[in-house]
Amino acid sequence: MKVRTRSAMAVLAIGALALTSACAEGNQGAPAAPSGSAGASAPAVEAYKAPTITVGTAEDSKGPAIEPEGVVKGGTVTMIDRDDFSHMDPGQLYVNTETNFSLLIARTLTGYKRTAKSEYKLVGDLATDTGTPSDGGKTWTFTLKDGVKWEDGTPITSEDVKWSMERTFASFITQGPTYIQQWLTDVDHKKAYQGPYDGKRLDAIETPDEKTIVYKFKTPHADANYAFAMGGYGIVPKAKDTKEKYDKAPVSSGPYIIKNHVVDKSIDLERNPNWDPATDPIRGAYPDKWRLEFGQEALQITDRLMADAGPDQTAFTFYATVPPERLQQVLGDPALAPRLMKSPSPYGNYYYFNLDRMKDQKIRQAINYAWPSKQIQQTMGGPAAAALPTTILNENTTVGYQPYDLFNKTTKPEGDIEKAKQLLAESSNPTPTIVYAYNQTPVQEQVTVVIKSALEKAGIKVVAKPLDRKTYYDSIGLTKNEFDLYWGGWGADWPSGSTVMPVIFGPIADGAPNYSHLKDEAITKKMDEITAMTDIDAQNAAWMALDKEIQETITPLVVAENRIANTLHGSKIGGAEIDPQSWVVQPNRIFVKQ
Amino acid sequence: MTIPAPAASTTVEPPAVKTPETVGRSPGQLMWLRFRRDPTGIASAGVVIFFFLVAILAPVISWLYGKDPYTLYGQDTPGLLNDFGYPVLPNGGMSSDFWFGVEPNLGRDVFMQLVYGIRTSLLIAMVATILISVIGIVMGIVAGYAGGRTDYFIGRLIDLVLSFPSTLFIIAFMPVVENLFVDPSEETPVWLRAVTLITLLTAFGWAGIARLLRGQVLSMREREFVEAAKVTGASPARIIFKELLPNLWTPILIQSTLLLPAMVTAEAALSFLGVGMIEPIPDWGRMFLRGTQVYQNDITFLIFPGAALLIFVIAFNLLGDSVRDAFDPKLKR
Repeated sequence: MKVRTRSAMAVLAIGALALTSACAEGNQGAPAAPSGSAGASAPAVEAYKAPTITVGTAEDSKGPAIEPEGVVKGGTVTMIDRDDFSHMDPGQLYVNTETNFSLLIARTLTGYKRTAKSEYKLVGDLATDTGTPSDGGKTWTFTLKDGVKWEDGTPITSEDVKWSMERTFASFITQGPTYIQQWLTDVDHKKAYQGPYDGKRLDAIETPDEKTIVYKFKTPHADANYAFAMGGYGIVPKAKDTKEKYDKAPVSSGPYIIKNHVVDKSIDLERNPNWDPATDPIRGAYPDKWRLEFGQEALQITDRLMADAGPDQTAFTFYATVPPERLQQVLGDPALAPRLMKSPSPYGNYYYFNLDRMKDQKIRQAINYAWPSKQIQQTMGGPAAAALPTTILNENTTVGYQPYDLFNKTTKPEGDIEKAKQLLAESSNPTPTIVYAYNQTPVQEQVTVVIKSALEKAGIKVVAKPLDRKTYYDSIGLTKNEFDLYWGGWGADWPSGSTVMPVIFGPIADGAPNYSHLKDEAITKKMDEITAMTDIDAQNAAWMALDKEIQETITPLVVAENRIANTLHGSKIGGAEIDPQSWVVQPNRIFVKQ
Repeated sequence: MTIPAPAASTTVEPPAVKTPETVGRSPGQLMWLRFRRDPTGIASAGVVIFFFLVAILAPVISWLYGKDPYTLYGQDTPGLLNDFGYPVLPNGGMSSDFWFGVEPNLGRDVFMQLVYGIRTSLLIAMVATILISVIGIVMGIVAGYAGGRTDYFIGRLIDLVLSFPSTLFIIAFMPVVENLFVDPSEETPVWLRAVTLITLLTAFGWAGIARLLRGQVLSMREREFVEAAKVTGASPARIIFKELLPNLWTPILIQSTLLLPAMVTAEAALSFLGVGMIEPIPDWGRMFLRGTQVYQNDITFLIFPGAALLIFVIAFNLLGDSVRDAFDPKLKR
């Protein structure tokens, strides 16, 4: 009896405790910006300086990389992130975290060398310089450096470089950039050439000797040297090419070798003895060992980095930004300011309509009007975590940016339900049902609730389909997918508007980034004309005009919120910086403080 | 002749008055009498009934309270949440409009979320408990009474189920079910999630109660009253239902009253791990999950579902305790 009376009392006591401790303080508005940290004020976009990128000389292309201040070599660095890399085969790389990782194990012909904050130079990585164009930009010649080797010590030859490009035509390569392939052959490059595995070689690439490689394009491409810097054009050894299996066990040409890979859990890297820093102007490769851990949500990662305990002091993350739940705390804590990195997204983020299934433009416009931009922004953590753009081209990375606002997003960021209803009434189906596919992350799950709630107010039934995160892009990349609306991000592959529009509205293929499946002859023709323009300013203006025209006449997408990354790193990590182009913390300059 | 005849009445009355009350009471009545005298039992029963009423009357409460669990109040009404998505008012945004506060980011009403979350969780737990009890009783009695080969096979099956890592299995199995039964262009139906959860919880839950009952039946099978029934030619069905089952009600009742809170917590745990009910169906376990994510800035959001679950589980366990004591006073501490 006594025992039970006491336990009944315990219940009461706990209940009382719950009531008393419930006196939590309120959260009055946004906290003031912590003093002393310049870039931490709420509208971070203003403090942001767009990166300047220039073409470097052969002298710039010599190693080693410029060392960060106070650099220390050695030690083990930990990288914590949510997802394992779904691809490691260079030919399959297009996702920013994956290409970022490939900097550690694979080299490209050219690359970006950081010379100062927000200042980069395009330099030769494997090549001695950024290539020599001839024939009006149709022919590009590269010479390989001396002393560049594979992890087994065999030299990297021009034959390997040629092979790496040829194999990207093979049928098992479904991701990855396709610019150079198209320039070498045809827009439908996979039809023009099927890869080197059946013995047929590509004549458009010539290898006069072991060190020289010549690319012959069909049309002039003055910016080809930028294209060769993409992680997707990393090299693969001809002698050790295992086709599909290469994706699981790549051979290293970079500073590290994969020692151990437990899928979805961890990757251990150790030094590649055959990588010579004197040949590499880009990669510092200061730590001796890397440990990459996967499977943690951004929230846990942020909590670990905030606590900064023991081994987490030497940890950082490629991509896990501070989630909405912790933003108030992280931005309000001056002690965390030195370890906080901030950068607005250089990407365009869109909710693509699948035009094969959503054929009525009125419905697409109605969804645009009803779109709950402001609510999504709040769910993501407010103006400190996301901006609300209205254009397809990103304002942070577009030269000659001209804003326009077709769907009243500046006046009604919370969505114009009345206008949407009106448009739906005029459309072919006033009560449509759409299938919205989303990446199943905690934040996206909440955003989905918000979208569903808003669109249902306008009378649109939303069927939400969660997709597995690791294969998200693979799922929405299928041309025959069964979804109507899905999110996709796209970033300029090098600083030019030509790497956005002709890509996201380019060829339709499995894995190609034309997720809306837009196929319009007039638009395609216009894009070809703009690409061929030689006056850069006129070209930029033309891209801006086309941006508006596409949204007006076709409406293939809803412009999504543009996230602002707030990312923490451990206190013993030096040289950490969000790369303004790829928007991930790049590994080249990371070192472990003693 | 003049003597009245009160004697007759007096002769009748005394025995009626004097005999002590040897009214025949069934074990159930005895149990009820003892239970009524146990204040803890009564109090916890009250709490449990209250929770069930809340669950059953959720739509009525919603109608009286004037809010529903799906509307994103915090987003529709400016001023409730700040830029970071946290409630502006102290105590998680508690006010006369939002009794338990506003959910961070999405801005739904916490009180309604909790009421409907309790409803979801209790419904799943209730159905699972009933199914577990029925299957457990059948398997246990059959194994114990039939013996021999039947007992051997059921015994091994119980061993297998008991040694299976159930939580891991459920986490791995949920996506498989979804891929198998749900068309890619359709949303996963709520009932499918619920049925799968109930099925899996049942599949891994019945073994405990079955093993317990098997042991009880085994010890009773050789007792005189069963022998006597057999000798008089009673059918196995009669022996099971009329001779054995009445003696098993005590362990069955106790087991199931302890099982229900276990199922509630199991369901909450699965939702916490992300394989329970999904948005936007309110769920107790998922409220916790969200609570643990935001507690550093909004502790109130964690406290309400936390305190509610704590009170419910303790009350139900105490109730199970009291029921056991009332059935079996010999074991009283």
